[in-house]
Amino acid sequence: MAKDGFKALAAELRDTPPPSLAALDDDQLKDLLGAVRDARHRQAAELRAAGEKALSHIPRLLRGPVRKMVG
Amino acid sequence: MNNQLAVRAEILKLAQLLRREPEALGYLEQIPAQDLRRLREQVTDLLFTAQGPALARLAAASKLLPIRVVATIGERAFGPMLAARIAGLLDPARAVEMADTMPIEFLADVAVELDPRRASDVISRISPERIAAVTGELLRRQEYVTMGRFVGHLSDPSVKAALGALDDVALLRVAFVLESKESLDHLIGLLPASRRESIVDVAAREQMWTEVLDLLSHLGPVRRNEFTQVGALDRKGVLEAIFKAAVENELWEELLPLVPELPVEGQERLAQAAAKLGPTERQAIMERMRAARMTEQVERFEQIVSAKPA
Repeated sequence: MAKDGFKALAAELRDTPPPSLAALDDDQLKDLLGAVRDARHRQAAELRAAGEKALSHIPRLLRGPVRKMVG
Repeated sequence: MNNQLAVRAEILKLAQLLRREPEALGYLEQIPAQDLRRLREQVTDLLFTAQGPALARLAAASKLLPIRVVATIGERAFGPMLAARIAGLLDPARAVEMADTMPIEFLADVAVELDPRRASDVISRISPERIAAVTGELLRRQEYVTMGRFVGHLSDPSVKAALGALDDVALLRVAFVLESKESLDHLIGLLPASRRESIVDVAAREQMWTEVLDLLSHLGPVRRNEFTQVGALDRKGVLEAIFKAAVENELWEELLPLVPELPVEGQERLAQAAAKLGPTERQAIMERMRAARMTEQVERFEQIVSAKPA
């Protein structure tokens, strides 16, 4: 099971974690994976929320070109 | 830094990045420090590249807008985390101009979230006065890990300004978690001589000998000698407290190289403290040192125990 946890962590990081982390037990790897995932989700949520909020601070004339660039 | 201390410092840094309490990551104490550092770099890379294309587009769009408008958006719409993610993607000159218009509290918020490696050009251009002000705010929040990550990216005038804003307790805490430990010797060299004395004083008052031993172990012989000759070490109980901290935290690797540099009287005092250890404890310590191939240190230890200082 710990091997699965290590693989899941590698998938989350999109990189191979240091091999010594394979010594952690399943619960510990699960906790670490959860902490990394939470950090990424928190950031993605903040980015989504910021997009629309940012537009209200941009002068109306520039909103079109800015929207076009941001996509 | 010995592995135990390095692991402790790395867990503090990873906990800050993941917004967890360090105690919650206690299970990572079994992982070598260099692997924890690698893991932290991997998490940082993930966070800074996860929304990479969207962030790059935002940074490009910001060029259409006046600096003040971008600074307002950064502060009021993006918030510190996104501002930190984008900072390294902006033109450094514009980013510094923006930073100059932002409140110190917000810059401190951004500093906590920033990966200094990705915004080194921006950080190095911020004025020493602003750096000192942000340092003061980070000190108020006890953000030692954040300060420790930034030091290696600051110019000497900015480091001096930052050091001036830190009290001695904070200085020891920042040094302990410093990202670029190899810069400690230079950093300590920027301090006025009077602060070496006050650092030892504060360590005695706050029982911060682990931090002091860690600091000393990263200094070159000249700077280390400046510390071992300070008058504060002569005070009753100071060397004995350092010895006790070394026993409790297994900091022999840090303590023993200092012994020959102490005045003879200081060596005698350490010898007396060492001689009070039980034979089993003395033997265990020497075995650990032999295992670490600290042949010279073992010899010195034996000299201390037999009250024959080198």
